[in-house]
Amino acid sequence: MPSLRKHLLIAIAAGFAALGATSAARAAGPACAPAKLGEKYPSLVGKTIKMGADPQTQPYVLRDPADFNKVIGADTELAAAVFDCVGIKHEMFLGGWSGMLPALTAGQIDVFWDTLYYTPERAKEADFVVYMQAGTGALTQPGNPKHITSWDDSCGDTYAVGLGTVEEVKMHEEDAACKAKGKAGITILTYPDQASGMRLIQMSRADIMLTDLSMVDSQVAAHPEIYARAYKVLTGFLIGAAVKKGNGELLHAIEDGLTIMQANGTQKAIFEKYHIDPSLQEPVAIKTK
Amino acid sequence: MRRAALAAALAALVPATAMAAGTPAFPWVNEVWSYTISGFLWTGAVLAVEITALGMTTGVVLGLGLALMRLSRLRVVSSVAWFYIFIMRGTPLLLQLVFVFDALPAIGIKLDSFATAVIAFALNEAAFSAEIIRGGIFSVNRTQSIAAASLGMGGWLTLRRIILPQAMRAILPGIANNTVSMLKLTSIASVIFVNELTFRAQQIVGQNFRFFTVFTAAAIIYLLLTSAIAAAQALAERRFSEERDPGAGGIFSRLLRPHGVASPLPAAIVPMRPNTLEPQDLAWLQLHERARESDAPFVAGHNVQKSYGARQVLAGLDFVVKQGEVVTILGPSGSGKSTLLRMINHLEAMDWGEITVDGKQVGYQPSNGGKPRPTRDLARARADARIGMVFQHFNLFAHLTALENVIEAPIRVHGVKRAEAIAQGMRLLASVGLAAHAHHLPHRLSGGQQQRVAIARALAIRPTLMLFDEPTSALDPELVGEVLGVMRKLAEAGMTMIVVTHEMRFARQVGDRVIFMDEGRVVEEGPPAQVIDAPRHERTRRFLRQVEHEEDVT
Repeated sequence: MPSLRKHLLIAIAAGFAALGATSAARAAGPACAPAKLGEKYPSLVGKTIKMGADPQTQPYVLRDPADFNKVIGADTELAAAVFDCVGIKHEMFLGGWSGMLPALTAGQIDVFWDTLYYTPERAKEADFVVYMQAGTGALTQPGNPKHITSWDDSCGDTYAVGLGTVEEVKMHEEDAACKAKGKAGITILTYPDQASGMRLIQMSRADIMLTDLSMVDSQVAAHPEIYARAYKVLTGFLIGAAVKKGNGELLHAIEDGLTIMQANGTQKAIFEKYHIDPSLQEPVAIKTK
Repeated sequence: MRRAALAAALAALVPATAMAAGTPAFPWVNEVWSYTISGFLWTGAVLAVEITALGMTTGVVLGLGLALMRLSRLRVVSSVAWFYIFIMRGTPLLLQLVFVFDALPAIGIKLDSFATAVIAFALNEAAFSAEIIRGGIFSVNRTQSIAAASLGMGGWLTLRRIILPQAMRAILPGIANNTVSMLKLTSIASVIFVNELTFRAQQIVGQNFRFFTVFTAAAIIYLLLTSAIAAAQALAERRFSEERDPGAGGIFSRLLRPHGVASPLPAAIVPMRPNTLEPQDLAWLQLHERARESDAPFVAGHNVQKSYGARQVLAGLDFVVKQGEVVTILGPSGSGKSTLLRMINHLEAMDWGEITVDGKQVGYQPSNGGKPRPTRDLARARADARIGMVFQHFNLFAHLTALENVIEAPIRVHGVKRAEAIAQGMRLLASVGLAAHAHHLPHRLSGGQQQRVAIARALAIRPTLMLFDEPTSALDPELVGEVLGVMRKLAEAGMTMIVVTHEMRFARQVGDRVIFMDEGRVVEEGPPAQVIDAPRHERTRRFLRQVEHEEDVT
């Protein structure tokens, strides 16, 4: 029972610390109060949250080029800031993107936080705390050789889309629309990870690769001799952290933390660090449907 | 952390000579090199090796169980195994991984990534190995297990000592293939958060998009690991090769053949003598004879019946053999001679009737005739009956030397001490004139030598009855004499013998009595002078004319 005793001691210590901190916190609106976790979210005290992420999703979650054993990225840093702020211990649980949602619903991970789009369909499986807007970028070869300017003038072209993404669904709709109009359909190639999608563009196997706007912009900036942006779409999709249904305390704790990160400018600072347009930030909201 | 340390050590082992290739003319070579010794990638490689080692080992053990279930005579058992293999082979491993990781928590079983990977890979591998192992078992001639059964060896013992060591030659290449496949396939476990080599390489590429150099480095690491598997395969195959030098030990031999004869015995303690089986070589026989003191027939069959499907092989046979008697059974092929012989030591089950040896039934519960009811431990019953058997095709254990063939049953079945068994085995081999060949594998011996080893092997269990099933039919004519010579000595030493043969000379000169069989019945029996030289039945006369004509031709 030593661990239980330890947890009790921590809880008591946290209680005293919270009493002392109350007066200070009252002045400046919501502020980080890691020691007060037990007051609002007793079930999270002493627990280590497993955060699922795929370290192939630049610039959100990726390996640190200086030390591959470290994981960096906008979502990595934002999540760490949020968990530190509300006093939750967390560890990164790294795997392939397609395994994340099943693992979340099975309870193998507690939160899936990695540039995940909120959709009502996905909200049937998990609850979301949204915090930014999604932009889709169309990556192509330099000079946009096929002069593609929008996905609704793409009949007959070849598109690379991420496996299981909203872009994949969208392009199948566009393909059907082309065929309905009697035009050539859209050839759709699905890629399992960003790097293999980029190779399709590099080798001219695909005309367009649809992926996250920030990802496209950072690549075009870094390698203008290989890539160009054909167009961008502000899809109106919201991006959020997903929590398993029925885990209300964690959901609200993340909401609390994100609200503070937006109020004190941490989120925008992280976005700027990773070349993500800060205007993509959206007010924090919980989506359960 | 231990894994990372091991990874660093392994990365350092990558041949330093490769460094020399990194000339400035090809800057990418240096880059590939830097990734090839990357601790980050090697940590993933070690993880892949751990999963493969555990998954493969467990999978092969489970696969052995499944293979045996598939071979079971119980329909339920073999069907269950068949169904398992059908499902596991027929569904994608990726789905099996996700199922174990994400569906089992619903029933309260929550496994971590590593355990999931090991379990899912093992369960999947079990299905594939089961079929490889089953194929290996099929590749071993059935006569090997029949010979083992005649020596009183049980199913498990036969499997472990006789079948599997020989099946290994067929099994190893398939298992090595699967090991290489599994090592590389661990990459799909990234969906359940396993950060092994390929996934780590992808992560680096996802960060810097240097796919050519990173993937080349990963490929080199895989090649190094699979080279190790290939080397292990080559070693293991050499171990189980029938061309191996006897006594060459190794880890695999110790696993499966814990008593491999380490070195040939010094020639001094091996009595070198020609083909001279003396009564003192069969000392137990006299003891047994003296202890018995009974005039009752030693072997007695009553109303013995046997059918294969609709075809009746033995149609209510009666016969007796007295102690010390040499009975030859003659008859055309298909007359049921061999079947009868195999029923005496219960290698074949009886449909009806009763056979007693020294007053006891072999592997049947005591009954007053009628339908025989088998006892539980048939192997034990065969061992206790101590009936030696010699086969037409020798059926020596192909992977064991002559001496190992001879000492196998005494040590494993009768619990004789190893040194004692070797001493007796050498004595017996010497008595059949083969002391010099004690450490040769059967395939190095001539047919006649093999058959003499087979006789020594049968004598090593100290039998009181010897059954010979056409012992000279598979031999070249010039080799027949040496085997008949040993049999003659055996008869002179007082051994009770039942011999199925076409050797008229042996039947006449050595046999005390001849039984002529046709269509599952005894047509006539009596002393050789009567049955062979003055047969009363036309059927017997016709058969003898045929056989003698053949002998004239040859």
